[in-house]
Amino acid sequence: MISLRGVSLVYPNGVRALDNITLEIAKGDFVFLVGDSGTGKSSLLRLLYREAASTTGEIIVDGIRVDRLRRSRVPALRRHLGVVFQDFKLLVDKTVWENVAFAMQVTGAHTRDVMRQVPRVLDLVGLSHKSRMYPGELSGGEQQRAAIARALVNNPKILLCDEPTGNLDPANTTEITALLLRINLKGTTVVVATHNQAVVDRMRRRVVRLEDGRIAADEERGYYYLGLRESQVLSG
Amino acid sequence: MDSGKVKFFLAEVLRNFSRNTGMQVTAIGTVAITIVLLGLFLFVRAAIADAGRQLLDEISVSAYLRTDVTPLQVRAIAHFLAQDPRVASVQYVPKKQGLAELRERTKGTIDVALLTENPLPDKFRIKARVADDVPAIAASVRRLSGVDNVVYGQKIVQRLLQLGAVLRRISIAVIVVFVAVAGIIIANTIRLTVFARRREIAIMQLVGATNTYIRLPFICEGLLDGLIGALVATVLLAIARAALWPRLLEALPWAQLTVVPVDGRLLTLELFAVGAAIGVLASWVSVGRHLRT
Repeated sequence: MISLRGVSLVYPNGVRALDNITLEIAKGDFVFLVGDSGTGKSSLLRLLYREAASTTGEIIVDGIRVDRLRRSRVPALRRHLGVVFQDFKLLVDKTVWENVAFAMQVTGAHTRDVMRQVPRVLDLVGLSHKSRMYPGELSGGEQQRAAIARALVNNPKILLCDEPTGNLDPANTTEITALLLRINLKGTTVVVATHNQAVVDRMRRRVVRLEDGRIAADEERGYYYLGLRESQVLSG
Repeated sequence: MDSGKVKFFLAEVLRNFSRNTGMQVTAIGTVAITIVLLGLFLFVRAAIADAGRQLLDEISVSAYLRTDVTPLQVRAIAHFLAQDPRVASVQYVPKKQGLAELRERTKGTIDVALLTENPLPDKFRIKARVADDVPAIAASVRRLSGVDNVVYGQKIVQRLLQLGAVLRRISIAVIVVFVAVAGIIIANTIRLTVFARRREIAIMQLVGATNTYIRLPFICEGLLDGLIGALVATVLLAIARAALWPRLLEALPWAQLTVVPVDGRLLTLELFAVGAAIGVLASWVSVGRHLRT
């Protein structure tokens, strides 16, 4: 489903964000990307939804050669992906329903499909009863659930999450994590970049640890401090 | 067509348009001012052009005949002129009639009766269809036998033709400058709205909206700015014309004679077209720049 071969990313200012990354993520996988801030987790996700363009290497997402994608084809790629962020990125002057429907409407979806699909995803994230509320009237966890509903509304095969629980308290974190797992069980490939140790250790899913833009460890049923020596853990 | 889609789109455009009222008013005001200036300019230009055309229309070529001209030569000249497609009308003025006209024209200043004999030669009075052809017609007539001298106010015709050419060039330059200024201001206004909506645009891009789709509401916004600006300008111009025109005629009586009413409908259409074009172009450029970064 996602395949990176020898991918490097050097930003125009000379910073080497990713260095020779090779990574395979199968259909239906649930993968944690862990590592300290600035180790390239977000950069890796940004490559996948083509917010950044790789300097070298080959990237395939759902059969699309992302590294060779023309600018005009980027919207088509993004319709295969759902993306969730730490800061939710909801439109404050639109209701929950409108925020979710917006993501379909701007892709030119038929109103009939919007009316059918929006209630479905709102139900999935458990926000049906708050669909008429504005983001400012919701808790952080609810806002993130609305953002996840928006990411899912176009039926993506892949859900990318960049620190989805970064702004949430432990209770909401648990709730969001459970929701992501439920989405994964429905067959969506989920990639979560996080530095929340508790979440990673509780789930025991595949963990890919990035360090200085390289893959330092990659293990099925991993844990947060995977691949680190005890001294590194204590000093970190 | 999916009516829900259309409704969504129109609601988005209206929402954006009404959200930044201050900015829209600025943009519309600028377009209106520009178009008022442009309208005044076009109006004056058309008036001057019409006045010039009228002056040129007044100009006729006088071909004075030799005193020893034969009736055959006169007929040949008349035939030659009637054949010329550039000639609008030809009138033969015998010297008796010429004297009568002179007497009429100089009434009260010179007493023509003092003349003991008629000093005027016979002549042809020729009018051209197009003022630009006057010099050429004069030249061709001068070559005919029996023609003594040809007079057509060379200097005036040449001046007017030159003035017309210069005026055309200046007017194009002025219009370009006006339109550029209005375009830059609309582009800046749209850029501000784009900036105010950058989160929305980022999300649209994130969920896979095409650039065309993202651009469309802004283009409509620019179009609306341009059209409303043109409407305001047209109303202002109409009011100004209704209020000032009679007074202008009063102050400058000769204007009544020389200035022909300009076709207001055509002018209005031109102004609206200019407003729409400015709005669309400016917003296109402005949003495009944002989408590429």
